[in-house]
Amino acid sequence: MTKRKEHFDEDMDLRVPSKLSADLNALFEPRVGVPPEVDRAVMDRAYKHFAPLQSGKGGRLRVHWAWRIAAAAAIIIFAFSLNLTKQTGPATDRFSLSETQAVDIDRNGRVDILDAFKLAKHIESTGPAETEWDINGDGLIDRGDVDVVALAAVRLDKGVL
Amino acid sequence: MTKITPIILAGICLIVPVLAQESEQDYSTAQSGVRFAPLHIYIDSGNKSLAAYQFELKAVAGQIKIVGVEGGRHEAFKEAPYYDPAALAKDRIIIAAFSTGSDLPKGRTRIATIHLQIIGGTEPQYELKLIVAGDADAKEIPAEITFEKGE
Repeated sequence: MTKRKEHFDEDMDLRVPSKLSADLNALFEPRVGVPPEVDRAVMDRAYKHFAPLQSGKGGRLRVHWAWRIAAAAAIIIFAFSLNLTKQTGPATDRFSLSETQAVDIDRNGRVDILDAFKLAKHIESTGPAETEWDINGDGLIDRGDVDVVALAAVRLDKGVL
Repeated sequence: MTKITPIILAGICLIVPVLAQESEQDYSTAQSGVRFAPLHIYIDSGNKSLAAYQFELKAVAGQIKIVGVEGGRHEAFKEAPYYDPAALAKDRIIIAAFSTGSDLPKGRTRIATIHLQIIGGTEPQYELKLIVAGDADAKEIPAEITFEKGE
């Protein structure tokens, strides 16, 4: 037992000498290093990319757009709730006053089903047609024009009763 | 917080009108009974042939909605008549039709049927006015218009 202990020096200095440390570092240092100018360029690009977010400008921009979208949605909903988009049907809002006068075929000052009936009879009898009876302006005087006159006669906004 | 606020606002704007509309519909349906009934319209042109007609119907009491319009019984007026589509879901309508055929009805003829949605327990009252009736020559003829409530 005592013989074994003789091989170990308890006061031995276990620190690595600085020269050995430097030599080892030089030996195992990575051979391919990043050139400092490349490193700087990468850092510059990264800074440019993230700078707006860091300063809060991008965040404000997104919030700004969110407000715009919310405002647009609110306006659309409001318009729907007021029935602004509701269409009253083709027969109601198709004619102006002058057009209404145009569909008064018998010129009695009133647009009713007899106007459409007279036009339909005229078309069926193949008599000479007045160009002014081309009510829908398609170049033909046919059933389409009769329908336009009939629909003008049943418009609700006439207030007959 | 500032990012979430507009999203919440938009969500409220979307949800509130939908819920309000639904609850309104539920309330009106639940509050009073809704039933559907036809109203048959007749014109009596006497001994003259009826080739064209136009009339107006409106409810003067009770709550109704017009949900559909059907042609008459006679072949000359079997097709759906002319009416303003805007009249659907309302309580007033103008209806008209004509026939250029030679087979025309005389006397009392059912010329149209109006399908109604009746809301509430009040029995609706109607005002019916014949605007014009015409013969085969498109001349105005005297005629009488009446209605019958169907089941």
